[in-house]
Amino acid sequence: MTGEMIAFFLLALTAITGGVLLINLTNVVHMVVALIFTFIAIAGIYITLSAEFVAVVQVLIYSGAITIIMLFGIMLTRHQEKEKRAPRLKIILTGLAIGLFFLIMYGKIKDLNFGQQDVELHVDNTKKIGIELYSHYVIPFELTSVLLLVALIGSIILAKRADDEKEAKK
Amino acid sequence: MMEDILYAQPGWTHVAIFFALGAALLMTVLGFVTYAILAERKVLGFMQMRTGPNRVGGRFGLLQTVADVFKLLIKEDTIPKLADRPLFILAPVIAFAPAFMVLATIPFSENMQFADLGVGLLYYVAISGISTIGILMGGWASNNKYSLLGGMRAAAQMISYEIPLVISVIGVILFAGSLNLNDIVRGQENIAYIFLTPIGFFVFLISSIAELNRTPFDLPEAESELVAGYHVEYSGFRWAFFMLTEYVYLFAMASLTTVLFLGGWMPIPFLGFIPGMLWFGLKFSLVVFFMIWIRGTLPRLRADQLMGFAWKVLLPLALLNIFVSAAVKELFL
Repeated sequence: MTGEMIAFFLLALTAITGGVLLINLTNVVHMVVALIFTFIAIAGIYITLSAEFVAVVQVLIYSGAITIIMLFGIMLTRHQEKEKRAPRLKIILTGLAIGLFFLIMYGKIKDLNFGQQDVELHVDNTKKIGIELYSHYVIPFELTSVLLLVALIGSIILAKRADDEKEAKK
Repeated sequence: MMEDILYAQPGWTHVAIFFALGAALLMTVLGFVTYAILAERKVLGFMQMRTGPNRVGGRFGLLQTVADVFKLLIKEDTIPKLADRPLFILAPVIAFAPAFMVLATIPFSENMQFADLGVGLLYYVAISGISTIGILMGGWASNNKYSLLGGMRAAAQMISYEIPLVISVIGVILFAGSLNLNDIVRGQENIAYIFLTPIGFFVFLISSIAELNRTPFDLPEAESELVAGYHVEYSGFRWAFFMLTEYVYLFAMASLTTVLFLGGWMPIPFLGFIPGMLWFGLKFSLVVFFMIWIRGTLPRLRADQLMGFAWKVLLPLALLNIFVSAAVKELFL
């Protein structure tokens, strides 16, 4: 057993524990905290795969920004309410569907072949991603940025309109 | 020295060495925190024409902080009855752990660095964002209106100022051509980046003070309106952890400023005979003193001016800085 294996098992265990807790806890804020552990553990798994840039961005975007936005949303709304347990039939049906999904995915993943692995993947990882983004994938990259800009401006306009209407009512 | 250990065949000896070095760094940081608090009180005292602490530990109050911390340790540890117990206990841990984790990537001198990460700068930014969750959690778990307000303010402020902070260092990344902090320091052999991206430095300094929740941006714990902000309900050791987080971040942020803009361990021309570690210490102390100076000089911002300042002044300035830096790099370097 190598150190990498031990690290992988610890991280996978944390990720799965976080996921299970996320489903089983009843308090919404506790759920988000469980989710943070899952996100950070997944970032750790990326590091064991020598994808340090992806790992850091995972922590920055998912564990940092997105969960904080979620926490904000939850804390400023009705956070006292607890979730009710679903009826038994629904639980069993969902379980069956998930089992089926697992079997199909497992069957396919077992046969999956990525071909020859690049040994030099971890050298100048960030630089390689940058070069790929700005040469091969430049059009999708630019389109995504335009999409994000549209979303940003759209949200500003939506928020502003609500303010104007309120003032008009006054 | 560190390089050899980092790239050597792993074994239990190395684990032991790293553990010892980590513990040594923790002790150094704790020592810094102890005397930074004393220095802050002393400097503030002199600025306000007082003497500051001068009773415990001789004329200069050298043991004042030690006594304060001892008081905190033997204080009763209270947890409010209606607080969210697990989160209340977890919050100081989540706030403090990232503060110490970010120190791993900072190069204190040529040979003194714990992890030579390719994405060192991004690592710092990403990991330090996790502390915000701890603060927000602490504020919420206390089940107290003031602490929730303080936690919300802290999170909103830290997220808003993180954006100009990150964008202002893009100038530095452009000049160095790397996210690795070692490469960034080596890129400043001839000229420190503070002279190449002065706007970037200006924006970075202001946003870093806001990130640290220090005056004039200490709204999350504005004592006149929020009692003490997110840690109202905390006492004893748990409260000490929140304070410790704040000062460890002061240590980390001052180190980062030194590395990014002031040339890290690189000596000033003709003074190369002074060792790199000492240069780092000097520049670092200068930044820390500046932070204390600002605290003694400026009044607190109003809550409604705070967000506007980040989004309408600092962000456009940071964007302008990218443009100017790119032009400078193309035309003059």
